[in-house]
Amino acid sequence: MKHASFRAALNTAVSVAVIGALVYALLPNYWVFLITAVFIVGIALQSLGLVAGRTGMISLCQMSFAGVGAWVTGYLNVSGFPGGLPVWIVIGGLAAVPVGIAIGLPALRLRGINLAIVTLGFAAAFDTVLATITFPGQTTFTQVARPMFFESDRGFFIFIVLVYGIIAVGLEFLNRSRLGASWLAVRHSERAAAANGISVPMAKLSAFAISAFIAGISGGLLAGYLGTLVSENFNMMQSLSLFAVATMAGAHFTLGAILGGVLITLFPELLRRLNLPQDVGNVFFALGAVQALSTGETISETWARLGRKLLPGRKASTTATGGALPAAELHPAGTTLEVKGLTVRYGNVVALNDVSLVVPSRTVVGLIGPNGAGKSTMVDAIAGFLPRYSGEVTLNGRSVDALSATRRAQAGIRRTWQTTRIAPELRVGEYVRLAAGNISDGELAAVLDWLECPPPQTLISTVDAGTRRLLDVAGVVAARPPVILLDEPAAGQSYAEALKLGERIAEIPEKFGCAVLLIEHDMDLVRRACSSITVLDFGQVIATGAPQTVLGLPIVQKAYMGIEIEEAAA
Amino acid sequence: MNSFFTPAVAGLSAGGAYAILGVCAIFTYRLVAVVNFTGAAIGATGTFVMVALYEHGVPVLPGALAGILAGALTALVIGLVMTTWFAGANASTKAAVTAALLVGIVAVGLRLTGGQHPHAFPDLVPGSAFRLAGVEVTNAAVLTVLLAVVFTILAELFLARTRTGLQLRALSERPMAAELIGIRVRLLALGVWAVMGGVTSFALMIIAPLRSPDFMSLSLLVVPALAAALIGAFKSFRAALLGGLMIGIVEGLVSGLDAFSQYRSTVPFLVILAVLLWSQRGARWDEAR
Repeated sequence: MKHASFRAALNTAVSVAVIGALVYALLPNYWVFLITAVFIVGIALQSLGLVAGRTGMISLCQMSFAGVGAWVTGYLNVSGFPGGLPVWIVIGGLAAVPVGIAIGLPALRLRGINLAIVTLGFAAAFDTVLATITFPGQTTFTQVARPMFFESDRGFFIFIVLVYGIIAVGLEFLNRSRLGASWLAVRHSERAAAANGISVPMAKLSAFAISAFIAGISGGLLAGYLGTLVSENFNMMQSLSLFAVATMAGAHFTLGAILGGVLITLFPELLRRLNLPQDVGNVFFALGAVQALSTGETISETWARLGRKLLPGRKASTTATGGALPAAELHPAGTTLEVKGLTVRYGNVVALNDVSLVVPSRTVVGLIGPNGAGKSTMVDAIAGFLPRYSGEVTLNGRSVDALSATRRAQAGIRRTWQTTRIAPELRVGEYVRLAAGNISDGELAAVLDWLECPPPQTLISTVDAGTRRLLDVAGVVAARPPVILLDEPAAGQSYAEALKLGERIAEIPEKFGCAVLLIEHDMDLVRRACSSITVLDFGQVIATGAPQTVLGLPIVQKAYMGIEIEEAAA
Repeated sequence: MNSFFTPAVAGLSAGGAYAILGVCAIFTYRLVAVVNFTGAAIGATGTFVMVALYEHGVPVLPGALAGILAGALTALVIGLVMTTWFAGANASTKAAVTAALLVGIVAVGLRLTGGQHPHAFPDLVPGSAFRLAGVEVTNAAVLTVLLAVVFTILAELFLARTRTGLQLRALSERPMAAELIGIRVRLLALGVWAVMGGVTSFALMIIAPLRSPDFMSLSLLVVPALAAALIGAFKSFRAALLGGLMIGIVEGLVSGLDAFSQYRSTVPFLVILAVLLWSQRGARWDEAR
């Protein structure tokens, strides 16, 4: 995967350099000056794309972050801080980080809408504060000094393109890292992200902090570009139209950020030349954003799709397969997972009543029962997704009751979901890495082979639902935790596939060293995979023991078929 | 005592308006499942229609009625957009749509009303109602607070007691199921939007003369409105009513302190921060995540 990030980064660097060189060589000063703004806005858009596009949080105060950066840059300029603009913008960006974190904090455990409200509130508040305190040097008309060698407008253009290139390349690496994948995972499903041991608050906060940093830099650059600033440069309408353009153009793509910069900077210029009022632009952006939201596709995605149609590029190369499976983990022997007296109530409904269960190390234990018996509730409770339950869950003898879902996943209780929750923007390899942590390319390919999953380069959105569930399994086994909870992994598989999956699941303890708690309706699969079975009905354990014995019990057959055996025989 | 009391009472009419807007925000959220960022902008549209008519010599009362109608119509158009293209979208997308629409509405509004160009705002309810401990309580303040209380009670009764209210609750929670059991989903949703638009317009008309009355500032009243709605957790009308009033009064108090008076617009933001931090004490893994 490393070389994929390098290629993407190189692509980005070369395209930015080529565009910059063309503009510099071919266009007159006026246009070079204008296009400088395209790149500055592009940087602000990238910062917004990271929060809104990647992590799926609505931020309506991005220009306020830029304002913080610009204010600090102005202050350092007036106070004659050494280092010049390159140093000031970095300090300005850093100054925006704590602000970003403070704004992000209230929305950590809530979905995006609350963040939209907080950020809008911040933008409004920042407007008033900025209008009151004014920019340093605003009243004395002190120009922000441009860096040495880049003083002229053409020179400053080069400086801006350089900064843009550095940030774009940095983001390419970041987006392909585990952190970048965790942002997409959080956007798609916070529960699934937590089940993979990702700290959802950390993912959100890091996205917000980095985004504020980049926005702060763009503000500092704007200070160098315009020389003097007024608070209107960063008011709420600027943030809102930035949001609309980012939504419309797809600011989390390099192309989208530049395209958005072009729209914001050059569209008013076009309107001016047509003798139209320039604020018509905002109406256009609003409509464009609504259109993009209704189709679920941004302009850059549309272009990329059309581009792929026109240029049927290289086939995704199937990477070297045949690597060895990762070595089995040596987890402590004895009882891996123990559940004692687990009771879960939803209001008056008792979903689980005093359930106890033992999963010894390196075994597959089946948990079966009719629909509504409480099996999935049990998985939720063990994995830490229920707000409260009574009873005790221990992993290798240590209680995990006080741990959050993320901590339990990190401690080694891993689960899969009945419905797939993998972010469709990820690639197969990226997902397995996200779930498994550090494994080599060969091991990754081997795990995918073992479960007959598609190759690592495949985009998840092109994979069918049944196979995505296998990927879920591939991710958790590759992580080799002490215990895996599989929630109906064979749902949606054909009979033959289910049988094969059963064999694979039976091999998990030996090949990967994990214990498995398997929830399944497919009895043939259960017989094949499990060494013991626990049966739940109406939230209570009605039988436990070896598969053949338990499945033959009349009480179990009654629970499943709803009839007494004698009646059936009669 | 009076030095505190006077500014607190001065914040009362703004508080009443925030309360109405906050209750409207909850109304829209509970009934059509949209966190609406355009609420105040819709009201601003209605208000400026009234102002335009007033400036052209139309008497206040018919002008106000026309303004309320215009607000309802604007809301109806937004409702049409939401029900046509975003009926099945998730809450986050719908909020993003209204945030994007806000940009467009404010741009059009600023253009048509001439930006910061001053307008003659008629006082809908001039004069003061009574004196309380030596402080003038204006008719506007009494009216907004009264209106807020009445609207809160009506909204609660409507949702709890009427058949339409029940249908609307079904609509917001499970639109598809509501449609399947034969509720005229779209018509009801549009009705909610129109009512919301009319009420907000009226509320903004009353307090517009007390504000820096340009289109943008009025549209941005959505911030205290959403702060009030958050206090009610987008659920309780009463809490939003009290929250709105509280924000107005605190703003009034802050304006009374010379050192902080310029920062009074930060009050709603601080309230939002506090409420959200308080409301997320425990992790919840609900289906939405």
